[in-house]
Amino acid sequence: MIKYKNLVKSFGTRTVLKGIDLHIKAGEIVFILGTSGTGKSVLLKNTVGLLRPDSGEIWIDGENVSGYSEEQFLSIRKKCGMVFQHPALFDSLTIYENIAYGLRKHFSMAENEIERRVEQALSLVNLDNILSKRPGEISYGMQKRVSLARTVVLQPKVLLFDEPTTGLDPVTTNSINTLIQSLSRKLNTTSMVVSHDMQCALKIADHIVVLDQGQVVDQGTPKQLLESEVPLVRDFLEEARNQ
Amino acid sequence: MTTKQLIQNPFAFIGVLLIHTCRDARAFLTLVVQTLFQLVTHLPRKKETIQQLYFVANGSLWTIIFCVCFAAVVTMLESSFHMKLVIQNDSMVPGFASLLILRELGAIVTALLLTSRIGAGMAAEIGSMKVTEQIDALKMLGINPIRFLIVPRLIASTIGCVLLSIIANLVCIFAAMIVADQFLGYSNGMFLTAMRRFVDFQDIIFASIKAFCFGFVIPLVSCYFGFNCRTGADGVGRATTQSVVFASVAIIVLDFVLSYTFSYFY
Repeated sequence: MIKYKNLVKSFGTRTVLKGIDLHIKAGEIVFILGTSGTGKSVLLKNTVGLLRPDSGEIWIDGENVSGYSEEQFLSIRKKCGMVFQHPALFDSLTIYENIAYGLRKHFSMAENEIERRVEQALSLVNLDNILSKRPGEISYGMQKRVSLARTVVLQPKVLLFDEPTTGLDPVTTNSINTLIQSLSRKLNTTSMVVSHDMQCALKIADHIVVLDQGQVVDQGTPKQLLESEVPLVRDFLEEARNQ
Repeated sequence: MTTKQLIQNPFAFIGVLLIHTCRDARAFLTLVVQTLFQLVTHLPRKKETIQQLYFVANGSLWTIIFCVCFAAVVTMLESSFHMKLVIQNDSMVPGFASLLILRELGAIVTALLLTSRIGAGMAAEIGSMKVTEQIDALKMLGINPIRFLIVPRLIASTIGCVLLSIIANLVCIFAAMIVADQFLGYSNGMFLTAMRRFVDFQDIIFASIKAFCFGFVIPLVSCYFGFNCRTGADGVGRATTQSVVFASVAIIVLDFVLSYTFSYFY
């Protein structure tokens, strides 16, 4: 589904991704773990063209997208939905308008069909009765869920989550993680989740990739990762055990 | 190169400065071209443009009226005082003051006040959107951020600046007339006669062209700094400050260029 071949990305003199080689299979939930500043979010943003790699290739659904223009990326962004670290909702629009915006942009739908899809997306993230509210009138956790609803309403084949639980309390974190798992299974999507949370990764991931200083230091199924001898992975596992 | 190396080598410092300036100028010009392309090829978002126009015009109206009134009072009193001091006669003050107000004061005071109010607001708003990944979210939804964010602000600011500068000119002339009548002893009739002798219709047209250009520049500079904002509250603050400084400087330089160009038509 998604392949990275020797992907390199630098910012000025600092090389953030140092030749990433990775293969994400269709329908998998893949967790990308690593300490801050190791290039996890940069990897996701390169996937959908929000950042451009310096060298290397990115293949999505059999297409090499690494040299794509902004216009060419539109079709890729239709396929891939991204949930950002921040809810990134548009403050000037209501929750309904925020979720419906993409539908209006990409599909020619009747208003009652849009309404139905918006309500369906909100119920998927366990929210209701907030359609007429503005983002500032609901809690941060709810904003994150709305952001998720805005992405899934477009029914993408790939879901990219950039630290979806950052800044949330443990209860909401747990519910968001459960939501990621249930949505990916229900909608049959390929999911890439950037996270620091090894405990959650062990619970819901099909595959875990650990990045350190712009390189993949280990990867495998949760079972395989439990046996890892890589110091960083051991640290993450130790941290997960202490939680 | 490190900061220490740059300080030790002045040629390297100048070189780096030049490279950065050229890079920033190219980025700004690219944004201007992209904005003009979007402006010409797509219909603007009506609701957003009207909201922005309301924000620009209605929100700034009373501040501008208040400030230009004082600018008119100061212009009249100062010119009269100095003329009396030098040539013992201030009969030219109403005419000169009207000319100064229409050619310079109305448009430039309006533009500078708009820069500090709406320019700063635009840079902060777009900067915050950049920091909170809303601009990336727009791209993910297949929406062009320039069309979505800059074009409505550009149209609103240009129309708003022209309208406000016309109002500012009228209010300023009216305030000058009151000062002339109350403090300098020139009746309203005398003031208007002097004004007609000094001011041409083309002065009003040139003032409107200036306001149009200023209104065009403010959102472009502000949005440029907003789009290139660095992360964090510090980044937004820095972008806002830079946008106000650069837009103000751009307005002053543009005023000189336009005044110099218009001088060929007199």
